[in-house]
Order: sequence, then structure tokens, then C-alpha cells
Amino acid sequence: MMNSKKIIAYIVRITLWALVIAFFWWAISENMFDKIFNEPETFKGLLTAHIQLTVISAGLAILTSLPLGILITRPWFRKSEWLIVNIANLGQTIPSLAVLALAMSFLGIGMPTAIVALYVYSLLPVLQNTIAGLDSVQPEMKDAAKGMGMTPLQILFRVELPNASSSILAGIRTAVVLNIGTAALAYLIGGGGLGVWIFTGIQLYDNQTLISGAIPVTLLAVLVDFIFRGLQYVLVPKGNRLATKAVTD
Amino acid sequence: MIDFKNVTKIYGGEVKAVDDITMSVNEGEFVILLGPSGCGKTTLLRMVNQLETITDGEINVNGQNVKEMDKIKMRRNIGYVIQSNGLFPNMTIEKNTMIVPDLLGWDRKKKRDRFNYLMDLIGLNPDEYRKRYPHELSGGQQQRIGVARAMASDPPVMLMDEPFGALDPIIREKVQDEFLTIQKEVKKTILFVSHDIDEAVKMGDKISLLRQGQIMQYASPTEMLHRPKNDFVSEFIGKDRVLRSMSLYTVNDLVEALGLKSKEEDIQDTKEITIDTSLRVALSMLLNKEADELLITDDQGEAHGSLTFDLIETFINREVRGA
Ligand SMILES: Nc1ncnc2c1ncn2[C@@H]1O[C@H](COP(=O)(O)OP(=O)(O)O)[C@@H](O)[C@H]1O
Ligand SMILES: [Mg+2]
Repeated sequence: MMNSKKIIAYIVRITLWALVIAFFWWAISENMFDKIFNEPETFKGLLTAHIQLTVISAGLAILTSLPLGILITRPWFRKSEWLIVNIANLGQTIPSLAVLALAMSFLGIGMPTAIVALYVYSLLPVLQNTIAGLDSVQPEMKDAAKGMGMTPLQILFRVELPNASSSILAGIRTAVVLNIGTAALAYLIGGGGLGVWIFTGIQLYDNQTLISGAIPVTLLAVLVDFIFRGLQYVLVPKGNRLATKAVTD
Repeated sequence: MIDFKNVTKIYGGEVKAVDDITMSVNEGEFVILLGPSGCGKTTLLRMVNQLETITDGEINVNGQNVKEMDKIKMRRNIGYVIQSNGLFPNMTIEKNTMIVPDLLGWDRKKKRDRFNYLMDLIGLNPDEYRKRYPHELSGGQQQRIGVARAMASDPPVMLMDEPFGALDPIIREKVQDEFLTIQKEVKKTILFVSHDIDEAVKMGDKISLLRQGQIMQYASPTEMLHRPKNDFVSEFIGKDRVLRSMSLYTVNDLVEALGLKSKEEDIQDTKEITIDTSLRVALSMLLNKEADELLITDDQGEAHGSLTFDLIETFINREVRGA
């Protein structure tokens, strides 16, 4: 069914794409990407560093937050859950730049510092969504599972995680996409990455350098967002996907 | 089969949810735990499969103290159905139904055969529903799957907590009827929680009426309707106990007690019903003026005579009031 909301969303999307295409048209016709082709080796180095920053920091953040989120939603941790959730919410309101500055004052400059800062910054979205997802699993479902003789681990892996997977995946997607954008700030503490061109471009009023750094970062974020949306079809059980679709349609 | 001995449950040191209950449920019996909300029915039920701890007293299932049994193992051997069916949205209907057989490590062929058998039993086409998901089913169908799931490993004992409570009245009647038919075939030992006296009278071999964690009366529906033990029981049964007790009898009971009238040729307004129809249904058909006389037929479609309002009245006076 086509309602007015969907039509508006459609128009907005088409307009956005038109703007993006117009921008690229302008950028290409003005040779804005020349820096990439003139200095392919530098570009490759910056891109690799950027991806390293994101993959290592976001990867470690997922490896920390996912088990942590599972742990504090277990019955024997219930009492402290509110504390952790509150800390997580508070942490989310601290600006990314402040996290970078804080990390630098303890660890000095360089890539490892940037990775630590980005890691801290990515912990919270994953943690929040893991907790929210696991909490949203109906108590009746867990009760039925327990009453049928599932062990706590079986309940976790067969009932809780599959039914929380959509929320957890959304948290990971948010964290990684934010991470890619934020990694551009790593330049400020000598962490490398595509931020080098972006900030150099800003400082020198050099649009060519700025855009040669900014556009790849944007494309990277869009690409990763796209991949994670696709991943949903692999990782979220079909029944849950269909059920959500049936509700929203 | 299930023996409660001086069972008490106290929550958090103060709320006495179950207060010194002693009763037994025999093998193959269908027992209803009945009573107003908060009287301790769910708590009593959940202590049987150790979803709640027992504060005092003991519960034996099949002669074995539940406290000494392995929780996980014993739960796999006891069917458990709850009001909101608790089906898992991430699993297909077949997966959902075969959870306990899965846990028990049955092979694929055995699980498939069992699924087909259970679906036939609850009146759903196995191949049509095998790969569907819970959200694609109606409330009544989901609840039937919930029942099938509880019976998956053919456990001798079933615990059911208001399994049909969330269904609308017409569907509920239908699912109740189906379940009674199934029970006739499988003869499980059932402990069934309900707050609905009509459901209790219709379904139970025995009713245990609870109030504030204590048993007010534990008896067959007929006994409870005819000889309520105290004021609480009479009040809970309500003023329309005579009407209520009609659902305990079938037309056949009346035929055996009184016989039928031979059909009068001049009455046009008749309707055919079978001999195993409940008297309550027959009475309501007559009261609703669906017919002046009901023609009674048996399974083979052979006519036995006709049933009138007067006959039912005589039966009530003799069998129900007099008993
Ligand atoms: N987990 C619990 N903690 C504390 N009190 C409870 C708990 N579960 C039930 N109760 C209390 O125990 C009493 C009986 O509850 P329940 O067995 O659920 O009654 P019913 O199923 O008959 O409605 C009620 O007063 C209820 O508030
Ligand atoms: Mg209850």
C-alpha cells in the first residue's frame, strides 16, 4: 500500500540522490579527485591506515561489548544492570573529540592512542543495543524455554540471541559507521588515516585535498552501512524478519 | 501420580502464596486448579516442575520427590503450556514443536513422524504448517501448537497454566472441545489452571478450588456443584449452578434415565442433533427457539425419538436437583 508517508520518503530519497550525483558531477568536472590519482601511493597508505583504525577498534569493541551485554543481562547480574546501562548512556553523551583528547593526555600521540579512543567510543552503541535486544525478549518465551528443560546456555543461544540479533546487529552497524567518520579525527592526535587530507585541506583552503579525503571516508561509511544491512539477511532468523515486516507493512 | 504433601510457598519471606496444600492427582486424571486471581494456582503448578522452589512440604511425581530430581531432565519429561503460548518467532512451526525431542537428541525421521502425528492430532495439516512461522498463525492455531509442543516427547504428565485464557470465547470453546477429544485418546495426567468455572466444569475430572493458597474443596465437578462444601464454594459456583451442571450431561444420560418421546407428526419445527450432544447445548437450542423439538440421532444417523423442553425439566428435577 502506498501512503503519503511513503511517497514523501520516496521524494526525499530521490532528491538526495540527485544532489549526490550533481555533487560528483561537479567534483569530477572540476578535477577534485586528482590528488587521489596523482598520489596513489599516499592515498593507499592513508586508506589502509583508516581501515586499520576502524577494524581494530570496532572489532575489539564488539568483542568486549557483546559478551559484557550478555553477562549483565544474566539473572545473577540483574541488580547491577541499571548501573551499567546508566554509565553507558552517560558515556554516549561525551563528544568523540573529548574522548580523543582524554586518550591523548594519558597515552600521548600516535595510532595506538587513536585506536584506544575509537574503541572506547564504539563500546557503547554495541553494549546498549545488546542489552536492549536481550531485554526485549519476552519473559514468557524464556519461561517456556526453561519449562521445557532448556539449559541456561541453550536458552541464550537458541532463544535469546536469535531474537535479539536484529537489535544487536543494528548496534554494531551504528558503531562501525560512526567509527569510520570519527576515525577522521585521528589525524588530530597523529593517528593517521584519511583525516590527514581532510584537515590539511581545511587548513590550506585546498578543496582538492579536502574532497579527496572526505569523499572516500563517506563512501566507506555508506559501503559498510550497506554491507551490514545485507548481513541482516544472513544473521537475523527468517521468522523474525518476516514478523517485523508483517508489523511494519 | 502427582502428590502434594503439606506444600507451602512463601515469596520473599512474607507473601504466603500457597498454604499447606495436600492433594493427589491420579494417573490419567484431568485436574483443574480453580480460583480467583492471586489465589496461588500458578505458583502451585510451577512448583511441580521446579520453576518455583518449594518453601515447605514435598511434591512427588510418580513416587519421586521433585527436589531430588535433576531439574533439566525432569522438565523434559513434563509437558508445560502457558497462556501466552511462548512460541519462538525465530523458529518454524516444526522446530517449535520439536524442541523437546531436539533436546533429547531424537533422530530426524523420528522427529518428522512425531510432528506429523501431532499435527494430525490437533487438526492442522503438517505439510502446510511445517515451514511456517508463529506470527503467520491465528491465536487459536498458535495455542494448539503450544499444546502439541508440550506433548512432543509424549510426557506422561502435563502442566497447563490457563492455556486457553487468551482466546476469544468462540475459539476457546472449540479448542477446549478438541483438547478433550485428544485427552480421551492420550490419557495424560493433567494439572490445568483456570479461573473460569465453566471451563473447569466442562474439562475437569476433578476440581481443586483454591482461595488464598488453601484448598476450599477438592472434588468432581458434579460433587462440587451439588454439594458445595462451604459458602465460598457456593458463591464461586454462582446461582446458575443448575444450568452449569447441564454441561456435565449428554443427551444420552437423559435417554438412559427417562427415554425419549416418540416423534409427533404434527410438529414441523424440529432439528436433528446427535445423542452425544451436551444437555446444555440442547437446552439452549430449545430456549433460543431454534426448534420446538430436537430429533435425536446416533452415530449411524438412526433416529431415537425427540427431546422436548418438558423432558429436560423432568430430568433436572430428578437427576440434578434431587442428587
Ligand atoms: N515471583 C513472585 N514474587 C512475589 N510474589 C509473587 C510472585 N509470584 C506470585 N506472587 C504472589 O503470590 C500470590 C499467588 O500468585 P499466583 O500463584 O500467580 O496466583 P494465580 O495464578 O492464582 O493468579 C499472589 O499474591 C502473587 O502476588
Ligand atoms: Mg496465574
